[in-house]
Amino acid sequence: MSTLIMIDQPPYGAWTGREALDMAFSLAAFDQPASLLFTGAGVNWLRQSQDAGGIGQKTVEKNLSAAPIFGIEAILADRASCKSYGLEESSLIDGVTLVNNDAALLSEYDHTAFAG
Amino acid sequence: MTDIQTLHILNKSPEHPRANRCMEMMAAGDGLLLTGSGVLLLATGQLPDASKVFALAPDVDARGLGHIAGNAISVDFTEMVTLTLEAQKVISW
Amino acid sequence: MSETASETFTLVITGAPYSSQAPETALGFAQAAVNAGHRIDRVFLYGDGVHLASALCAPPSDETHWPEEWSRFLADHSISGVACIASALRRGLVDETEQKRYELPAANLRHPFEIAGLGEWVEGRIKSTRTLYFHAGD
Repeated sequence: MSTLIMIDQPPYGAWTGREALDMAFSLAAFDQPASLLFTGAGVNWLRQSQDAGGIGQKTVEKNLSAAPIFGIEAILADRASCKSYGLEESSLIDGVTLVNNDAALLSEYDHTAFAG
Repeated sequence: MTDIQTLHILNKSPEHPRANRCMEMMAAGDGLLLTGSGVLLLATGQLPDASKVFALAPDVDARGLGHIAGNAISVDFTEMVTLTLEAQKVISW
Repeated sequence: MSETASETFTLVITGAPYSSQAPETALGFAQAAVNAGHRIDRVFLYGDGVHLASALCAPPSDETHWPEEWSRFLADHSISGVACIASALRRGLVDETEQKRYELPAANLRHPFEIAGLGEWVEGRIKSTRTLYFHAGD
């Protein structure tokens, strides 16, 4: 019963992404297989060297690098979205697998959800 | 009612990025159920032809789109419940 | 799958009343599901959806009072309505326990809603035949 949590909203300007991450961590805490898919503006979560101190928020990069430790199976990012936001594989945080947003990807999961 | 692999429930207007994502990730054989602002897709005439398209009647009526349902099948909440159970999977976009 | 077999649903509402249509669509769905003989296992409010559990909404009298409609529906059918604790506390929605814990001036959780963690969502997602999400439409 694997779940794909999709994040298509950008970091910091919206809270939905953080709440999506909490959903994935909760699934993992209850031993339910969960993966994250970043797509659209959501791929900006995965850029290296974020520093959100100046806007009164905690940098999300650290939460994400902890994902494998908490049992998240995979951090996936849509290849085309990364390209449109100028994200090369080398500018992404560690542990991200590039995939294509398509029906074949969705078919690998029993359940797909957004946080909002 | 019908044979649907994945039922995609879309409540975003056609220009919302998630509406595009939904179209990209739909497979041939999947169903699309338009609810809320999602029914505005009917006004564009750009319904995906590979899929069965359903639209939630009260949302269609609210937006004055009852006359241009095209090939979309109008459903009420009871039929929506049935659709979600008949499909193998449901994704709420 | 037979149309008459009784199935269970977990409904997750993430769109707030009066800024999205999510509470209305979810209620229409829930009523139809119950009328068709199915069971709503639980309703989980997440993100902005927690505003639906506020006891302090006071919409104009000629507008639908979504928190009231939902409260009545949950009570009438003995369905559990749960607001995510992390979402609720951030947005100023608290029950008496949380009011005391954080020494806040008031509690505003509407009966029969409860406050609990995301584990309620995980459990519903495992136990129910279908888990559906009602997001803001924008």
